[in-house]
Amino acid sequence: MRPLGLRNIFRYLAVFVVAVSLNFMLPRLMPGNPLALLAGVDVGLMTPAERAEVIEAVGLDAPLIQQFIDYWWSVLRLDLGFSFRSERQISEMIMERLPWTLLITVGSLAVSAVVGIVLGGFSAWRRGKKSDLSLLTGMISLQSLPSFWLGMLLISVFSVQLGWFPSFGAVTPASDFEGWGHIGDIAKHAILPIVTLTVLSIPGVYLTMRYAMLEVLGSDFIRTARAKGASEARVLFGHVARNAIAPVVTFLAIRFAFAFGGSVIIETVFSYPGLGRLIFEAVSGRDYPVMQATFLVFTVAVLVANLVADLLYPILDPRMRVR
Amino acid sequence: MRFDTPGREIRAVNGIDVNVGAGEVFALVGESGSGKSVSMLSVMGLVPTPPAVVTGSILFDGLELVGLGRSKMNAIRGGEIGMVFQDPMSSLNPVHRIGRQIAEVLHLHQKISRRDAMDQAGELLDKVGIPNAGGRLKDYPHEFSGGMRQRVMIAIALACGPRLLIADEPTTALDVTVQRQIVTLVQQLQADLGMAVIWITHDLGVVAEIADRVAVMYGGRIVETGNAADLYRTATHPYTSGLLHSIPRTDTIRTEWLPEIPGTPVQLVDDLLSCPFHSRCPMGDDSCVASLPTLEASGREGQFSACVHHASILDGGDLWPSLDREVTAAVEHGDELLVSIEGLKVHFPVERGGRARRKAVVLAVDGVDLELRRGRTLGIVGESGCGKSTLGRALVGLVEATDGRVLIKGEPLDTSSGPHRRTVQMIFQDPFSSMNPGMRVGDVVAEPMRVHNIGSADERSERVAKLLGQVGIPAEAATRHPHEFSGGQRQRIAIARALAANPEVIVCDEPVSALDVSVQAQIVNLLHETQLETGVSLIFIAHDLAVVRHISHEVAVMYLGQVVERAPRDDIYETPLHPYTKALLAAVPVPDPSSSIALAPPLEGDLPDPSDPPTGCRFHTRCPVAVIGLCDEIIPELRVVDTDRWVACHLVEASTDQSFLAGEGDIRGDLGLLAEQGG
Repeated sequence: MRPLGLRNIFRYLAVFVVAVSLNFMLPRLMPGNPLALLAGVDVGLMTPAERAEVIEAVGLDAPLIQQFIDYWWSVLRLDLGFSFRSERQISEMIMERLPWTLLITVGSLAVSAVVGIVLGGFSAWRRGKKSDLSLLTGMISLQSLPSFWLGMLLISVFSVQLGWFPSFGAVTPASDFEGWGHIGDIAKHAILPIVTLTVLSIPGVYLTMRYAMLEVLGSDFIRTARAKGASEARVLFGHVARNAIAPVVTFLAIRFAFAFGGSVIIETVFSYPGLGRLIFEAVSGRDYPVMQATFLVFTVAVLVANLVADLLYPILDPRMRVR
Repeated sequence: MRFDTPGREIRAVNGIDVNVGAGEVFALVGESGSGKSVSMLSVMGLVPTPPAVVTGSILFDGLELVGLGRSKMNAIRGGEIGMVFQDPMSSLNPVHRIGRQIAEVLHLHQKISRRDAMDQAGELLDKVGIPNAGGRLKDYPHEFSGGMRQRVMIAIALACGPRLLIADEPTTALDVTVQRQIVTLVQQLQADLGMAVIWITHDLGVVAEIADRVAVMYGGRIVETGNAADLYRTATHPYTSGLLHSIPRTDTIRTEWLPEIPGTPVQLVDDLLSCPFHSRCPMGDDSCVASLPTLEASGREGQFSACVHHASILDGGDLWPSLDREVTAAVEHGDELLVSIEGLKVHFPVERGGRARRKAVVLAVDGVDLELRRGRTLGIVGESGCGKSTLGRALVGLVEATDGRVLIKGEPLDTSSGPHRRTVQMIFQDPFSSMNPGMRVGDVVAEPMRVHNIGSADERSERVAKLLGQVGIPAEAATRHPHEFSGGQRQRIAIARALAANPEVIVCDEPVSALDVSVQAQIVNLLHETQLETGVSLIFIAHDLAVVRHISHEVAVMYLGQVVERAPRDDIYETPLHPYTKALLAAVPVPDPSSSIALAPPLEGDLPDPSDPPTGCRFHTRCPVAVIGLCDEIIPELRVVDTDRWVACHLVEASTDQSFLAGEGDIRGDLGLLAEQGG
């Protein structure tokens, strides 16, 4: 198999360029002083001299085209600017937070993919029967749960009442776990956020899988497989599942974007130190440069998820391979 | 065997008894909804139960299959009974390699190593006539043509040496030339392996060629059964004889009107208390309604008919006379030149992608010249992919011409919308998807008038009622929705819609191929009647050569985007000149087992890639008489060889009184070479 066509790569590059350029224009289009947006300072409290100093520091005195080039240059060097509020390099802050968000989003996505696919497959196999219908009803109810409510419920039951899991943070503060103990500590902290995100993702995976399975189960080649004398299990795993998985992959890519965005709420509820929490902090502190940078990271994450789905498609379906 | 399948209150099969002997070829004939497929699927246990309920008994070599346990049934399926399905495009798993799909059935029924199974899969592919079999095991289904996929299906069905092969409409989705290949293949394999074959079809032509014995199904029941030869000679059920008379044929004298079976096939909901065919039957009377006729010995030995009147049918009552229809108001029309197509080309770019970024172009229509006069019908035939449908679309302006032009009454046609589009209307193949399901029938028919601002609202609805009456649909139907009508009725509505704009030309793209055989004659007659009454010109595009023969005044044969032969109807069917026309005609199965026409060997191979047509004569790669050095190098022009006859073949000699294909008569010396198998 060859990687996806040149044309597709260009398409992703084009979207990336447009998204990054929009990110440059955003603070300059918003009402008010771009100085406040880019330097994150209370302009009203500053003396003219201080303003001039800051304007020069963030390059706002240069012509727009120069600013645009500078902006691109810094993006390509992964230099996302400086947070005046926390007085740190933003890229450094993001690199600190990103792994935690990836841990809970990718973790929950993996679990929900497995559970959703298995349950969806089972449901399709038992289509119309009691087990299928009760699963279906359950999933639809689950889908309508608000994420913050579920998170708080889990905290109150498993952290407060049972005391099994910690209710905030990613690691126990001031602890000096090492090796497995450290990993165990991380896992303990990650479980509740992952469960919350997982529970919210499962219904979508389940419904997509169930529908795709039913679609495939009705197709002619399944009848052929049965006519060969294949057992029901063989039909299901040998013929249906592989054909039904492609729409699920697409769904997971979309879901990844959702989970990334949804992390703002989840990480706030669990006080989890990921990107979502960083956004929350930036918004409440009006730290505009940090917000701008995190938006950029979100954009890239969504693009990457779609790229991965595009790369997986031809592996799953030979008809999609570029001839 | 008896089945009773009340799935959603539909009695698909209502008590049928069939027995098939070892090594026998048995054909089950019927229209859609007759229960022929369902009954044989239940032999394989492939009818989902529930919702279906199968009762009665199915014995396979003494083993009761009804209610047989799952694992025992799995041993029968694919092992003892192989099955081939209708649509080869969708019957193979798209994500598995061909080799694996054949090997799977071997693994399921035999203890066999992976390597041995793969070797055997290669041998099977070779046996079903796939070139370079071993090398193609690693290919996926989408890399095969329809005919080749059906060969793969046959390889799968025969892999474990079954004693019975059930073929469910195996050639319906294929071109006649490929159908001929598949029929020949199954005949050969059947003779070699000695298995029994149950061939399910609606095509009486194929049955005549392949079957020893036949059963005809209608409304979930067998209405007639017997030896194939007897059944075709003296049918003893009105339905059988109606089918045999109403299908147009290429080998008999053409009558102006086809005998037609009125009405539409039944969909059975209740218990049968009377003959399901009585309302459509010319012999139907009170005795038919009073009781349900059962199969009784009729005619020759082994022939049975479920008709209370079977004795009088045998007495030779002429049940289905050809119609002598009075045309109410045949219009006088001149023979003005209405449509002329000049050097028309329609090319579609296709994305091939990949490293080379090669832009392939499908030459769907590649230089076609045709003309059509008022009140005449031009038939266009060819295999699927020959460009006939694209040509039709270009004539209506649905696709843009790449080069050349279409002149309607001397005015060039373009694809922009406007009043000039009124003169050419179209009837599409699929009456189910070519009508907006949300619109009422009256609005469907009135739409062309609205588009072209013809008449006031009142005038329009008046005209809709008149048009519906003209095509045999009650005027009350105007307020109903398309889904409430059968396929044949919808095609009538489509004809009314086409007529609404008062067109001068109607392009009919396969207008009867999606319809049941008993309904096709009605639509063909209706089109003919419409033409006589309105003087409209028709362009009739079809793959069915018999239907085209029936309705056309002139016929053009297309191959890979080009017209290879064009002639008046009788000339082309009686003395075809181009080798391709001959091959097409020879491939059409004749519904008569005693037909004396010697079967020509099937045309080999598939249609070449239309984006990369062969050099010289495009047909030379499949032509049985191609002369190397001539046909593969020089492009033959479409030239006049006789009065109104055009042929694009180097080997056809023109003479003043008779044209002939080189190889049949004496050949001019300058051709030098002569393929021996010619003629």
